Amino acid sequence: MRIDRRRMVVLGAAGAAAALCPVTLQAAAGPPRHGGADLPTREASWYKKLDEGRVECQLCPQACTVADLERGMCGVRENRGGTYYTLVHSLACAVHVDPIEKKPFFHVMPGEKAFSFSTAGCNVECKFCQNWELSQFRPEQVQAYDLPPAALVAAAKSNGARLTAATYGEPVVFWEYVRDVATAANAAGLKPTVVSNGFIQEQALRDVLPLLSAVKVDLKAFRDEFYREQVRGKLEPVLKSLQIIRESGVWLEIVVLLVPTLNDSAAEIRDMTKWIAATLGPDVPLHFTRFHPTYRLTELPPTPVATLERAWDIGREAGLHYVYLGNVPGHPGENTVCPKCGGTLIRRMGFQILKNNLKDGACPDCDQRIPGVWT
Amino acid sequence: MTKLTRRELAALLGAGALTSTVRGAQWSPRMLPGVVGLAEASAALGSPLSPETARSAVSGAVSAAVGAANSREAAAQLFRPEDTVGVKVNCLAGRNLSPRVELVEALVDLVAAAGVDRSRIIVFERSSRELRRAGFTLRDQGGPYRCVGTDNDYDSLPQDSGSIGSCFARLVSTQCTALVSFGVVKDHDLSGVSAGMKNWYGVIHNPNKYHDNGCDPYIADVARHPYIRDKLRLTVLDGVIAQFHGGPAYRPGSTFERGLVAARTDQVAAALWAWQVIEAERARRGLPTLDAAGRPVRYLATAARHGLGVADPQRLKLVTA
Repeated sequence: MRIDRRRMVVLGAAGAAAALCPVTLQAAAGPPRHGGADLPTREASWYKKLDEGRVECQLCPQACTVADLERGMCGVRENRGGTYYTLVHSLACAVHVDPIEKKPFFHVMPGEKAFSFSTAGCNVECKFCQNWELSQFRPEQVQAYDLPPAALVAAAKSNGARLTAATYGEPVVFWEYVRDVATAANAAGLKPTVVSNGFIQEQALRDVLPLLSAVKVDLKAFRDEFYREQVRGKLEPVLKSLQIIRESGVWLEIVVLLVPTLNDSAAEIRDMTKWIAATLGPDVPLHFTRFHPTYRLTELPPTPVATLERAWDIGREAGLHYVYLGNVPGHPGENTVCPKCGGTLIRRMGFQILKNNLKDGACPDCDQRIPGVWT
Repeated sequence: MTKLTRRELAALLGAGALTSTVRGAQWSPRMLPGVVGLAEASAALGSPLSPETARSAVSGAVSAAVGAANSREAAAQLFRPEDTVGVKVNCLAGRNLSPRVELVEALVDLVAAAGVDRSRIIVFERSSRELRRAGFTLRDQGGPYRCVGTDNDYDSLPQDSGSIGSCFARLVSTQCTALVSFGVVKDHDLSGVSAGMKNWYGVIHNPNKYHDNGCDPYIADVARHPYIRDKLRLTVLDGVIAQFHGGPAYRPGSTFERGLVAARTDQVAAALWAWQVIEAERARRGLPTLDAAGRPVRYLATAARHGLGVADPQRLKLVTA
């Protein structure tokens, strides 16, 4: 049997989890499903029926109109005889135990493990997607495990994770699974988190948001042109999601992947950071991360560190209190600094915590409260 | 649109009016822009064609499409003995609205008549499940031909072609030297018409990404990738039963007995003919045109602009067997 990269992702994921807990995950998840096998179906929660057996998906702003036997743009929801189904509920194709810093969340329980999972599929098509071997494939094209919410949470606990994280691919496309995992996680005393593009319809977001402890949103750019040409999405719904999350009180962090020449101009970053400061407030952490060539953008170079540092400066000039740099291990932009006294509160190296000086969520020197989910 | 007999087409070919099969000393398949070969084959929905009828229809349509006197001559003009021939069937709609097994097997016999070893004739679809549901017997070796689902066997890296970025089925990218699209004549909820060109969505890993704007320019962008454009020898459409509304799934009450098998080397002309068949039936039933119904068939003009074939109805030449 040919082992391709998509299969390797799954084997690697299973192997990593199995190494930590050889019994729990394997017993809970059962043997892997092979690509092409019949997929599980569960009626989708966000759609409406149209005439002639068609449906309109109400999960994300693509709002796909889907005929019988067809799927939405995400590739994981299918119309069967006028009923819309998710094909990925409880069908995890990637499972890892990661440090929470990898998501990245820098203000959520530093140093803790997040039991991270994903299904196949995505509702956009970023040309620079780092996880395209999962996100840009259909569920029957990748190997996956049956991992129902209760089993997932049990595996998380037995692996010492205090959080769950729907991540890697795009959680919006497996939103029913996210909801049900979050419910099970809360009941078990774990904190459910989501790493998303924020490209979701308002009602679907509001329905699940109260179950979550933290959300990280990838803000791909601050120009709709970039969203249309590089992402095949739209900017406005993402900005709306950011506002809804912030207003809900659920912890929010934002990541911006700076892609050379496409979304890294000083003017765009200035517009973005001013909007964040004015609309969401200065306490929302903003991470500028480094692009590496991949998927359909293989001709561009990695983001120069100087570009990241310029963005770092612009963000702080805009009044943001917590601006970070990512994918540059060892850079001081990884550290959390007190906005009042300037003292270093958390020192990081990549995903590792080198020193955490926070005392009950506050600066030990000046008692400044640092916002976040610390316990 | 011009209607020709096969004799008239042969006369045109003899006069050098159309593309020759010999370009210099090198063999190349005979490609006839705008020409559609048609043969009758009637059966009610759910009733099989006899093997003789199927063979006669496929042989007649393909021979007419290339101006050949018989199927052996037609096969020799399209395939070389050393070819590995992939026949992509469109089986999304299940047994009632997929290419009939008996027609596909008649095509396999025609390809074999060119000297192609039957182990190198591969009938395929994107999933094994869809092939089974359409009545095909899966086999990776032995038997009169191979029959396999792509399932998850795609290239490991995407290819850009115009606006699309997709991993192609390895069958198409690396295994086959010649391709046949075997579709059905049916309405499509988004692209307007599903025929031979839309069928190529089944060889990329991410067709769900390319259904907006009537699948335009995406269908043309898939079809113009060299993996398809340079290997495509023939498009065959099962028009024994066609569907005028409610596709791409089979929809009871929306099919009609058209009683034709069509073949052509011009994939754009193939879809154009299917469009005309569907529009004629819709008009007969008092339904609006596809354009008026909100699903204009945009992709044909785009495909023609890319030089993939003829989208001008005035240049369509129908040749009856």
